[in-house]
Amino acid sequence: MWPDGRGRCERRLCQMERARHRWQEISFRINFVSSPPTTMSLLRPASTKAAALNGLRGSPSTAGSIRFYAAKPDMAGDPKRETIRRVLYPANRRNRPSPVGTWRPDVARALQSAIPSVQAHETIERAWLLHKRHVRKEREAELARKFAKMEEAMDELYRLDSRLFLEANRSDDPRAKSAQEMELAKQLKMSEVKTLESRIPGLFPRELKVPTETPSRTGWNYEYKPFPRPL
Amino acid sequence: MLSRHVLKQAHRCPGAARRAFATEVVPPAASSQSSPGPAEASSPRSEKSTEKPRISTAIILNRSPILTKTPAPLETAFYSYQARIRRAISNPFPHDFYFKQGSLLQTRFNIEEREREKKAFGPRFLPPEDVDPEKAAADKAAVEQLAQQEGEGEELAPRVHESDLKGDVKSLDRAGDRNLYLLLQVEGNGKQSWRFPQGGVEKGDFLHQAAQKDLWAECGQHMDTWIVGRKPVGVWKPSSESQNPIFFYKGHIMAGQVRVDGKSVKDFAWLTKEEVGTRLDAEYWEVVKDILSDS
Repeated sequence: MWPDGRGRCERRLCQMERARHRWQEISFRINFVSSPPTTMSLLRPASTKAAALNGLRGSPSTAGSIRFYAAKPDMAGDPKRETIRRVLYPANRRNRPSPVGTWRPDVARALQSAIPSVQAHETIERAWLLHKRHVRKEREAELARKFAKMEEAMDELYRLDSRLFLEANRSDDPRAKSAQEMELAKQLKMSEVKTLESRIPGLFPRELKVPTETPSRTGWNYEYKPFPRPL
Repeated sequence: MLSRHVLKQAHRCPGAARRAFATEVVPPAASSQSSPGPAEASSPRSEKSTEKPRISTAIILNRSPILTKTPAPLETAFYSYQARIRRAISNPFPHDFYFKQGSLLQTRFNIEEREREKKAFGPRFLPPEDVDPEKAAADKAAVEQLAQQEGEGEELAPRVHESDLKGDVKSLDRAGDRNLYLLLQVEGNGKQSWRFPQGGVEKGDFLHQAAQKDLWAECGQHMDTWIVGRKPVGVWKPSSESQNPIFFYKGHIMAGQVRVDGKSVKDFAWLTKEEVGTRLDAEYWEVVKDILSDS
């Protein structure tokens, strides 16, 4: 139960109510702005409740004035504080006297220019999901093919040589230092020992770089000095 | 150590269960009567060990993509569509909070923001600015001067490298958003052919160790390479008895370049999957094509 006695179902209903109000606001503004009433409505048609708010002119910008109906105007405070307050807590339907939230002043026009129509928007959405599905299926098919090849290789190895098969199935313990590595560590200098220890068997090397948008200016490092690594 | 795979195999052939749980490794011949293997007669242990096929390992050395994938036209179109909607329903940016009122940076930001709005919604969307043209011109000049004073800034390297334009197949900067695979050109029976680096397995070596050694032997040690795991990723099963099976291992190259000796190995190339397909023999390609990555 919430402090004001509302249960979980009621809270969910309140959330749905709020979502519906948001859509109604947008649709109200679109119906108000678009002059010919016969053009297909951008979003769901305005309800009768929104029509009752016909007296309003549209939301003022956040940088501009705030309409006060019944409340008293705020005391003239430090403008910096007012700016910070306005940015941190943008005015919305709940904390201001007018029932419209924070949007850009011409949100209806902007949305109309961005979204061609309801059907177009839904088609675009479906096209995108279809594209994602194609990409996903391709990736899954490629992985399945690679796995089948690995399975075939392991089956063949099992058939041919059991010792090699058992060794292939063994997993490396990343914490363990092999005998070869310890021997090598004794022969190398301290700085080289660090390079040796940074490559941990069984884990990916840290030199495998994440791809970037643009390549580095130096490009690929062709000057690599051989370093003895244990097998 | 007893992997799922071993136990799964053990279920299929009960004789192998004994082998799987044994502490000593018993060669396959001892239980070849019960195992469903090749239809050869059960041979005594000594004969089987001399008939053991000599396994070779080959390495598919991969240079991973350096660049992110180039987005498909649908993806760029969708992202710009979503960006427009996001811009339409977002709060207006509080430029008077982030910039000092009347400063040059604020002017510059507002000019750039206007450009972005025009790009998103079209040039006729925004109402014409209600500033007098002299002030607008003065602002523009001031912003240009600021850009000159600040300097050019860091230039980003282009995604297309010069080796892409030249078609230099030895370069590791080519095709940044694709996977590149190493192919070697060898001469056998007077015929030049391309194949992956390969070699035999020494006594006492494991397959993945043999793979690393073969790579060093054929391509030189002036490369920072890493073989992925201990398991092979593919196998070439010989059609006749005289040939040996080849187990493929995947490796990554992180730095350096291949150095061929020119005697047994004539040449090398770093190729994308399609290019590999054009250079390999058909039978070899059939085995290898499912191991390589598409992109």
